[in-house]
Amino acid sequence: MANPIVALRAYRDGLHLIIKPHLSIAEVEEAIQQEISRMNRSLSGTSVQIVLKCPVLEEEEISLLRSKLQETYDLTVRGVEVTEAPVSAPIAAAPTMHTITPATDSRDSRDSEPSRIVPHTIRSGQTEEFPQGSLIIYGDVNSGSEVRAGGDIVVLGTLRGSAYAGMNGRLSAVIIAMDLAALQLQIGNYMHRPTVSQKPRGYPEIARIGAEDVIIVEKFVKF
Amino acid sequence: MGRVIVVTSGKGGVGKTTSTANLGTALALLDKTVVVVDADVGLRNLDIVMGLESRIVYTSMDVIEKQCELNKALVRDRRVDGLMLLAASQKNNKDDIQPEQMKAICDKLRTTHDFVLIDSPAGIERGFRNASAGADEAIIVTTPDVSAIRDADRIIGLLQNARIEPINLVLNRFSAELVGNGSMMDQDDVLDILNIDLIGVVPEDSGVITSTNRGIPLVYEDGSPGAQAYMRIARRLTGQRIPIPDFAQKGLLNNIMNWFKKKK
Ligand SMILES: Nc1ncnc2c1ncn2[C@@H]1O[C@H](COP(=O)(O)OP(=O)(O)OP(=O)(O)O)[C@@H](O)[C@H]1O
Ligand SMILES: [Mg+2]
Repeated sequence: MANPIVALRAYRDGLHLIIKPHLSIAEVEEAIQQEISRMNRSLSGTSVQIVLKCPVLEEEEISLLRSKLQETYDLTVRGVEVTEAPVSAPIAAAPTMHTITPATDSRDSRDSEPSRIVPHTIRSGQTEEFPQGSLIIYGDVNSGSEVRAGGDIVVLGTLRGSAYAGMNGRLSAVIIAMDLAALQLQIGNYMHRPTVSQKPRGYPEIARIGAEDVIIVEKFVKF
Repeated sequence: MGRVIVVTSGKGGVGKTTSTANLGTALALLDKTVVVVDADVGLRNLDIVMGLESRIVYTSMDVIEKQCELNKALVRDRRVDGLMLLAASQKNNKDDIQPEQMKAICDKLRTTHDFVLIDSPAGIERGFRNASAGADEAIIVTTPDVSAIRDADRIIGLLQNARIEPINLVLNRFSAELVGNGSMMDQDDVLDILNIDLIGVVPEDSGVITSTNRGIPLVYEDGSPGAQAYMRIARRLTGQRIPIPDFAQKGLLNNIMNWFKKKK
């Protein structure tokens, strides 16, 4: 159920914390707590943009929220913006953001992100998570296992398990596999369940959010 | 010092007990001293498959509770020299035994025998942990179907975390015919996923069921394809280099027909 006061949304430039009209700052704090506990993963280390869709908060209240988010959830506030008009729906309603141009925001954040190498196959029941940046796997990601990364996921083998890139909301994140045979992919909060045959393609593929705001999977030629 | 090998799978009913009984017997026929240990406490059936049910007096539980000495609890298989069974208690359950207690038993058995084969229960819980606690190697038994393979994969991950290696694969109930007509995964497909060493392929063999019912391990039935497969695996376990025959070859005609089907 949607929270009436705050909403956490993944946008192309990262996570937004949208604050709607409310009675007191205490009410906002409680709503934030609810919204964050609803996400079944840690947001630790992530940054958020506070979007005020409500009568503007006092300077004091904002700094209170800022320290609260930092201390309680390890969330850094990247900026505060005020939106008079209703906040646009994620991506779909933002036509100017449609195509991913690696030269802009994504390239920058990708360059500044750390990456972690996992030098083995990830087997059923195992999870590999790296919210701080990208994951590179020197092996397969087997069915029944899961890889999650704040940035990109690169599998130098067969991806059969589920992969979740851009878990902190960076929607320029991509998933690349030598053989992409996953039944479930996620980038930001976009899900994709490829209706693939189990047959190997024989070439690497890349999954990313395409112009239609859906995850597209295509032959990987070069980045 | 003997080798302690856990025979395990994750999924139930894929042939762990059948494999333990046959490999144990086969190793003894190759003049090795062997103890097969039933670690499926509460659901034991290694004794039945080996035809030793009526001769059990003590179980590993009695040893743990110090009701009897370990070597008194071992049941000798009279058909072949050097083969013993350590039975599991049927009236206890898996939580009644601690991993360290199983490990202590294995460590003792390895000082007097060349091989200690442990028949693990299905699952990834306590029973599996008890069974693998004293092992330094593992044999994973799987059938060529996706759910068994996924469970095997899960188990391999757990064994690797526990630093148990090598981990060898037995592909059981393989049918060249089904692979030939494209309705069963072939061994390359399985190995591609599991990525461990294959130590043998055991064909689907109706002799397994009759031998189980008679309590005489299949390996005594010289001509049967299952018996030959288990004998080859036992030889490989002792370090002999024996090629794995390509069972799918028999389905050559099928393959050709399949190829024509695909062309259409
Ligand atoms: N190669 C084979 N050909 C035909 N039948 C087989 C074969 N291997 C095993 N079976 C049959 O499959 C059934 C299960 O075998 P088994 O008891 O060895 O499996 P298990 O893995 O020990 O099971 P559990 O998980 O219940 O302990 C038995 O009925 C057995 O006869
Ligand atoms: Mg069994």
